[in-house]
Amino acid sequence: MSTALPTPGQPKTQSQLIFEAQERVKRNFQMGVTASWIILLAILLFLFSGTKFTLGGFELKTIHLDTAFIGENATFIAGGVWETIGISALSIALATILALLAALGRLSPFPPIYSVCTFYVSLIRGTPLYLQIFFFFLALPQLGIVLPGLWAGTFALGLNYGAYMSEIFRAGLSSVGKGQREAALALGMTPTQMMTRIILPQALRFAIPPTGNEFIAMLKDSALVSATGFVHELMWRATKVGRAKFHNLEALIIAAIFYWVMTLLFSALQSRLEARLSRGER
Amino acid sequence: MPPIVKVSHLDKYFGRLHVLHDVSLEVQPQEVVCLIGRSGSGKSTLLRCINFLEEPSAGTVEVDGLSVAAEWKGRQRRQLVHDLRLRTGMVFQEFNLFPHMTVIENVIEAPVTVKNMEKDKAIALGEKFLEKVGLMAKRDEYPARLSGGQKQRVAIARALGMEPKVMLFDEPTSALDPELIGEVLEVMKALAREGTTMLVVTHEMGFARDVADRVVIMYEGELIEQGPPSQIFGAPQDPRTKVFLERYRAS
Ligand SMILES: Nc1ncnc2c1ncn2[C@@H]1O[C@H](COP(=O)(O)OP(=O)(O)OP(=O)(O)O)[C@@H](O)[C@H]1O
Ligand SMILES: [Mg+2]
Repeated sequence: MSTALPTPGQPKTQSQLIFEAQERVKRNFQMGVTASWIILLAILLFLFSGTKFTLGGFELKTIHLDTAFIGENATFIAGGVWETIGISALSIALATILALLAALGRLSPFPPIYSVCTFYVSLIRGTPLYLQIFFFFLALPQLGIVLPGLWAGTFALGLNYGAYMSEIFRAGLSSVGKGQREAALALGMTPTQMMTRIILPQALRFAIPPTGNEFIAMLKDSALVSATGFVHELMWRATKVGRAKFHNLEALIIAAIFYWVMTLLFSALQSRLEARLSRGER
Repeated sequence: MPPIVKVSHLDKYFGRLHVLHDVSLEVQPQEVVCLIGRSGSGKSTLLRCINFLEEPSAGTVEVDGLSVAAEWKGRQRRQLVHDLRLRTGMVFQEFNLFPHMTVIENVIEAPVTVKNMEKDKAIALGEKFLEKVGLMAKRDEYPARLSGGQKQRVAIARALGMEPKVMLFDEPTSALDPELIGEVLEVMKALAREGTTMLVVTHEMGFARDVADRVVIMYEGELIEQGPPSQIFGAPQDPRTKVFLERYRAS
């Protein structure tokens, strides 16, 4: 900001001084937050370091982790990262398509189409995700439909997220003002042209950031498909080696770190994307 | 010559609200008609019935020889309404530019998608109209970076891009800061000089007086008086017109 730059040889104006003071407060707060995070992390590390110490005459010891186990199994568990990202990406792709169709269908004046969409959303939102996952893995085979693990997981997660995400696209569609429709129609566009050329591009743009959030949520919810044993993603791998050697603590901590790092990375990516999209906006 | 616009016995209801009462109006080729009247008198509704953004309840709209009656239904009517819209260009109070497209993309969008015009040809045509509204320099900007007056000039170029037979303006300067009104009115004046047929809803009495060939007064859904501006502003006949104009002068 230009007001922050003092002209050489001239005393600072009042607005410059106020601006600088505000900036100082902001900077100090940020530094305080960063320092606190580092301290919290250090405490967490200390808690799991297995250190012995005495406090008020008591002999104390923090939690001990088996580093040999960690060394042996970290790569196996890490292999699940790609499966987690893969199933999440496939599922979010399916969910996006379903959500868009459901949102568009709700605009239909044709009762059957409108009803299919509301029925789908109601059914999925009215039942637990955990149940839906087991439905695809365990109930469908009873009917002779055996889907490969990855596909069963993708269908379950995609269907579920699609129902919730239809709200995002609905909001996206209604974020485009009535004036846009009228301008398109007045220029002679057909309803289809109006939708594909004018409404959807604006609605989708509106929907990109929340879809990113859903992807990040999906990364974590994909852990639920591990329960079926057919998709070898992070959580499945962690529980497998953890149970086998009775080192669930270490195994879950490794998995937790991977989830956390993934979430942080994708969130950072997400905010950059959001910042880029909001540039050149109204 | 036959009129470009011929509105016959138009009625419009919003639910039980009777907004247009048996309105008939003709606009001749190259004529500039200003439609003025109190807020809520039905000016926008009349304009929007001409390109069927609003469905008339009864009556007929004819533009450049193509007529559509309110009671016609079905697929054939849809085609007729579409053709009617190709013959009319509309400029809105709120501009309604497409924010995800640059200025030139706004202007060529309809020629390309609706008329299947080749892109090169559409661009050449679009640039001609941007030149006309004095905004070639903003060709590749997004609407977000334009002032209100510039936005409205782009909206005019966009409507002109479809080469309509008549331009409909619905209070094109009412959403503008006072200092930006002039540039839009100048563009409209230039269009009038070139012989563009225009039907303009406005509160800009100066514009109506200087540019209009005919001024039409609307009052509670009826056209109560019309004539050349000198007569309407100089010697109005209907007492309701007198009251309206006096109130206007006072404010
Ligand atoms: N979509 C609608 N639904 C219901 N009533 C409407 C609708 N549009 C307009 N009206 C009503 O119809 C009447 C005429 O409205 P219209 O917008 O045509 O007036 P106007 O002369 O353009 O006024 P203004 O100068 O304020 O723009 C008003 O009473 C308005 O409330
Ligand atoms: Mg109006």
